[in-house]
Amino acid sequence: MPTVQLFVTCLVDSFFPQTGEAVVDIFHRLGIGVDFAPDQTCCGQPQFNAGLRKDARAIAEHTIRVFENTTGDIVTPSGSCAHMFRHNYPELFEDDSLWLPRAKALAERTYEFTEYLVDKLNVTDLGARWDGALTYHPSCHTLRGINVDRQPRALLAKVKGATLIDLPHAEECCGFGGIMSVEHPELSAEWLKRKISSLEASQAPVLVVTDAGCRMHIAGGLNRQKKSQRVMHIAEVLNGK
Amino acid sequence: MTTFRSRILESINDANLQTALDNNTERRLKGRAAAFESIPDWRDRRLRANKIRADVIDNLDAYLEKFIAKNEANGVIVHRAKDAAEAIQIVLGIARSITNHHLPTTKTLIAKSKSMVSEEIALNHALEKENMQVIETDLGEYIVQLRHERPSHIITPAAHLKKEQVAELFHEKLGIPYTIDIPTLTATARKVLREVFLTADIGLSGVNFGVAETGGVCVITNEGNGRMVATLPPVHIALMGMERIVPNLDDLALMLSLLPRSATGQKLTVYTQLLHKPLENQTRHLVILDNGRTRLRNSPLKESLYCIRCGACLNACPVFRELGGHAYIGSDLSIAPYPGPIGSVISPGLLGENYVQLAQASSLCGACKDACPVNIDLPKLLTRVRAGAVNSKQSSVISGGAGLTRSTRFGLQMYTRIATHPRLFAASQKLAALTSSLFAPFSQWIHLPAFTGWGYSKDFPKFAGKTFRERYVKRAESRESEIDNAYSSNPQSPVTNHQLPIGRHQFTEELTALGGHVYNVENATQEIIKFLKSRNINKIHLEPNLLDEGLLRESNIEFTHEPDPQIIVGVTNAICGLADTGSVLIVDGDGSPLKGSLLPEIHVAILKTSNILPSLPDAMHLVKDTRAAVFITGPSRTADIEMTLTIGVHGPKEIHVFLT
Repeated sequence: MPTVQLFVTCLVDSFFPQTGEAVVDIFHRLGIGVDFAPDQTCCGQPQFNAGLRKDARAIAEHTIRVFENTTGDIVTPSGSCAHMFRHNYPELFEDDSLWLPRAKALAERTYEFTEYLVDKLNVTDLGARWDGALTYHPSCHTLRGINVDRQPRALLAKVKGATLIDLPHAEECCGFGGIMSVEHPELSAEWLKRKISSLEASQAPVLVVTDAGCRMHIAGGLNRQKKSQRVMHIAEVLNGK
Repeated sequence: MTTFRSRILESINDANLQTALDNNTERRLKGRAAAFESIPDWRDRRLRANKIRADVIDNLDAYLEKFIAKNEANGVIVHRAKDAAEAIQIVLGIARSITNHHLPTTKTLIAKSKSMVSEEIALNHALEKENMQVIETDLGEYIVQLRHERPSHIITPAAHLKKEQVAELFHEKLGIPYTIDIPTLTATARKVLREVFLTADIGLSGVNFGVAETGGVCVITNEGNGRMVATLPPVHIALMGMERIVPNLDDLALMLSLLPRSATGQKLTVYTQLLHKPLENQTRHLVILDNGRTRLRNSPLKESLYCIRCGACLNACPVFRELGGHAYIGSDLSIAPYPGPIGSVISPGLLGENYVQLAQASSLCGACKDACPVNIDLPKLLTRVRAGAVNSKQSSVISGGAGLTRSTRFGLQMYTRIATHPRLFAASQKLAALTSSLFAPFSQWIHLPAFTGWGYSKDFPKFAGKTFRERYVKRAESRESEIDNAYSSNPQSPVTNHQLPIGRHQFTEELTALGGHVYNVENATQEIIKFLKSRNINKIHLEPNLLDEGLLRESNIEFTHEPDPQIIVGVTNAICGLADTGSVLIVDGDGSPLKGSLLPEIHVAILKTSNILPSLPDAMHLVKDTRAAVFITGPSRTADIEMTLTIGVHGPKEIHVFLT
């Protein structure tokens, strides 16, 4: 039986374990095993984006070692972490002839979850069912970082019972930006306001994302503003019955 | 709160500014998208443009050597400045050598068109200190100069102002009655600045591209001021950053297909000038500036030198949309010369540590990279600035955290320790879950206070009681696949390769859309006489050997071959037309056709239908051996006040093309 390695990401692991469980369920339904290397932690993106490259390298080296002891494709329910593996790890080890090939080997095995389903497994219809309206926010790193957009949309289009509504100004950043939301809360707040008004304009009760970062940011804003809309990871929607 | 953050908050709370920025963003994004529709192969073009720029920067010394040698052979006086101080001294030296002929009471007058390099080296300030008068002639620049401000956008300098503010300013400084009528405001500037062009001792401009193969200096302008300063005063100084080279005219044509589309949503800027030799009785100086570019070239930020200054990344950037250009400040509170995503890389890259903090104000959303016509990976460069690339002598960066607050740095470094020790990681998750339950026993969310940053506008999720790693149960065997694995293959979108009809029809359509007029005529002289009579005009500036001069005399039309600012109509030959943009090519020659197509209010061009070429690249060979040439694409225009398109700023208000 084919098996994939799950890089679940620190945010899903700590805050949204249900996303990870949905990913496992979906793969099992497709007859694919899921392995979880227990020593995995975080990809190091917060440090990398902050400019703390020494720290980012330490975490990247740890992650590379963890997955070198495993086989098979690596799948992650995050465009952002996939982008980190694919583009930022090679950047981190650019001048390191020892680590660069190891980083690139990891990058070549790594896929974002929806990308893996559609491009690698050629599946769009997961037999999912969802009653009601959905709207999709393309996370920045999924959309522009790894150019994954048609895949999640194709998967959502096959969800029975769901009405897909276009989110106005969908491609605009929600204002998370990792540490930017802490370093520049004033900026982050403005974009969050815009994103929430776009969501309201769409009239959809559920916003679908491919990244736990955007989820915790937008859902945190909705909760603060006492709004009723929910934010869900696409895996949870695709696991709906 | 840092000063930078309070400046950001000021911008956010400035309602006028926010309206102006929203308008700027929306129009620019729409305009750009529409303009790119006419070149379906733009993705391919921008990859080619990236390759060209990369090659230029890699081999910059050789290209510059060629470019300079060509210019010297063309009779241009070339200067190289290693930094701002040297550049200023060079310009001052040129200005003083002219002032020597002046009465001591007369100030040297410098008419200036837009130049970002001059902003970078703070040239105006230095010249004014030496008792010289510098007048900005781009409408937007003129407005910000009158307000004693710096431009807030590299393409639309007054993007932060509303028309009421401009109306107030013109009323106060120029003594006209208060009016918010944009054409009236524009016409006032035209009148005031026309006098400046005609009396200036020196014209000073920037440079968009230098063509290594021919030495050509390409300066593009919509209003016509860039032509005025390069054509009318006895001395022209062109100020260019040393990286602004393209290898040859074909590469220039490619860049010109991307730059105006990205900058203003135009297929071609109204005036695309190529200057080779100085005009008659004109001296041209070319000042080539380093000012940190050589250092940048040898640093991890090298790619930022590919920039062609279109401003598309500013318009696409959600940070710029909140801030405008004036909130990008250094730790000494000075406004960075270059705002927006590219500015947050090159302002610290060229001018140092002071501006490093700008790079932390980004979510790395990548909208800038998407918009860049030369495909610069701006998010990557921003992370490199954060990683300390500004001070790096190596080609890679290994530590840093430049511009980061101390508390965030400490927190992240703690997290590094945790994330490199899996057992500590799992234990910390448990501890965090426990603690967050204490803070918010009955909710999924924790209400953090504003000072934490996160708590400023959102709640924080509670840590899961059971993490994924705890819930994960490895199933030795999975069930049989339950769902139908049938998949649909992705239909490839059919590539339609329909050829656009080229020639007269397209030329007419394009030029008419820009507000120009096109006539198909048998006898140009007769038709032009009819046109002039209908307008009650009886004197024209005429390029020699173009019309039947006997017939003109018989019809009582006076003509001169000398440029004269009082004359309303200039009639020139067009060497060729461009079908896809509605442009005409005018080259320098007898009877000053360059001035004839610039000074009068109405420009009449005679074009042979057989000389309509498909597109700019097809015409590049025609400009190669000229003294100076300009592609004219519609009447002079501006959108500097509230992005409202206004016709006839400095150049002609009307263009009439007679096709023979």
